[in-house]
Amino acid sequence: MSLRQRLVPYGLLGPGLLWLIVFFVVPMYFMGELALRSGSLTTGYTFDWAWSNFPDSLAGHTEQIGRSFFYAGTATLLALLIGYPLAYAIAFRAGRFKLLLLFAVIAPFFTTYLIRTIAWKTILSDSSPIVSVLQTLALVPPDGRVLATSGAVIAGLTYNFLPFMILPLYANLERLDLRLVEAAKDLYSSSRQAFLRVTLPLTMPGIVAGVLLTFIPAFGDYINAQLLGGTQQSMVGNVIQSLYLNQRDYPEAAALSFLMMALILAVVSVYIRFAGTGAFMGDEEEAT
Amino acid sequence: MRGRASSRDGVFALAVVVAAIVAALGLVACGGDTVGGGNSDEVTTAEGGPVEGKLTISNWPGYMDPGPDNTVAKFEDKTGVQVDYIEDVNENEAFFGKLQPQLEQGESGGRSIFVVTDWMAKQMYDLGYLQEIDHADLPTVFANMRPQLEDPAFDPGRKFSVPWVSGMGGLWVDTAKAPEIRSVNDLFDPKYKGKVTMLGELRETVPLVMLAEGIDPVEATNEDWLNAVDRIGKAAESGQIRRFTGNDYTEDLTAGNIVAAIGWSGDASIVENPNAEWRMPAEGCSLWSDNMVIPVGAPNVGAAFGWMDFIYEPQVNAPLAEYITYIPPVEGVQDLVKPELAKDPLVFPSPQFTAKCTDQDSPPDIEPVNEAWQEVITG
Repeated sequence: MSLRQRLVPYGLLGPGLLWLIVFFVVPMYFMGELALRSGSLTTGYTFDWAWSNFPDSLAGHTEQIGRSFFYAGTATLLALLIGYPLAYAIAFRAGRFKLLLLFAVIAPFFTTYLIRTIAWKTILSDSSPIVSVLQTLALVPPDGRVLATSGAVIAGLTYNFLPFMILPLYANLERLDLRLVEAAKDLYSSSRQAFLRVTLPLTMPGIVAGVLLTFIPAFGDYINAQLLGGTQQSMVGNVIQSLYLNQRDYPEAAALSFLMMALILAVVSVYIRFAGTGAFMGDEEEAT
Repeated sequence: MRGRASSRDGVFALAVVVAAIVAALGLVACGGDTVGGGNSDEVTTAEGGPVEGKLTISNWPGYMDPGPDNTVAKFEDKTGVQVDYIEDVNENEAFFGKLQPQLEQGESGGRSIFVVTDWMAKQMYDLGYLQEIDHADLPTVFANMRPQLEDPAFDPGRKFSVPWVSGMGGLWVDTAKAPEIRSVNDLFDPKYKGKVTMLGELRETVPLVMLAEGIDPVEATNEDWLNAVDRIGKAAESGQIRRFTGNDYTEDLTAGNIVAAIGWSGDASIVENPNAEWRMPAEGCSLWSDNMVIPVGAPNVGAAFGWMDFIYEPQVNAPLAEYITYIPPVEGVQDLVKPELAKDPLVFPSPQFTAKCTDQDSPPDIEPVNEAWQEVITG
């Protein structure tokens, strides 16, 4: 191999590596450094290896962290239950409407996230027709409400992150070799068995990708809790915002952000191990 | 097999990155520099100059009349100054958070003026982020300022702030649904469970609750503040309080989600509910001003002074007052606005009307109170 040939891979790696260093490693370094400072806005924040920021940032916020897991987990599950059949239908049953339906999934993205969430405030307001229908169906108590409840926050998260679930699922389902399903049926499997033993395992990479793409941003989200929640629906994102902007405790905010990153990393690692790394990498051999 | 090998490489790469970060942290620890802490040793007085060039102003939304011949356009026509008027102050805290790193470096992000509430102006001044103002540079401002505004507790003698507008914090009530709400204490009535909101601003909501309990916020101890925070926290936990809001309580009032809110006196134009009205709480209101200040590093201070003096001409301020519907700071505006506005006690309150009101202030020791308050807000 000539020198030039040996250098090519590094050259190709260069832009990505540079991007990672500038926008990930460097900010992480400054945030880590900030998390180990102590002081206040008036005295200034001095670097003194203040590891106590980490336990301090967790104290009193475990409820919001638990809530974030619950909300993001429920929203991810709902998005999967809604998204899978939808992606399946678009991939196999939509015929010439395929593109149109895909467009319909992506179209809401043309409006900003904030505006879409604010629109839900109007849709779910106490005197809206939707809420009165829900009341008539006894899904909401007669004097009850939807807005400013956990349900509204979970619904908002599900809605806002649904396309992140559908698109990887669709991409995966579309590539599915239907001859394998036919073969299963030739071997006397029922439709249900064919789905459970052929289609589902083969689409695990899509499910894993969709779940990660939905869960991770939903966990850190604070807009839905702020706009659609009430006083008891704050998530960990709201706590970090409050620490940073209102209490001006930059070190504790940075420490909490780091802990949440570590927590997410741990959860995702366990999840990938459980679902199989192959599924994540799209390596079908390991997935089965 | 390939997977194995590459994951070992990954671990190695990660270890290298971690080692590098730890080494860099060690270097910084040796350096021992400090972030923040203000630059209060170097308070300067703003230097005036000719009224010309380019002027950047940051203000709150809704504080400028619209249209091609509005107040900004009039100023540009009169002086030839090119004004960049930005409405990027939505919240004192968030605005401060955004600008603080720049102010710390003695930079204002190109802004010559921004508008913040009393306590925030004081906080910025104490950190050395603002320049002092020589009254001789602002003859019109100090000739026409309403006397009540001349000597506020947060800035005795108006050394660094010039009021843009003033307002009152009190009760917004949907009179069709809850006509009998007249006191902040009524917001705690179980009858209105889940149908009231309060402002997320510590210095607005907590003093109003203290007033309702018969405590004078000016004299209040930290204990009093914490007790009031605690009372609000319990009401939030029980579901009595639906949300803590910013200006968006007006949306909840318009949509009919709530029957009452703690809110501001000048918001009538954005509450689209004919039954909603602002009420002076029986125990009194909170009084505040949003002030123009000149940050450190402000370019073109001459034009900034020209703008302040221009705003304090009654003929200039009158159309602005008609649009903003908060309390104008300029003497003589009342005679120049539409008669129905001139009679409005929320825009031109008499001293009797605001007799029981209190100037918005911070608790004696802000940190523990703010921490407790933020815990309530992010319940």
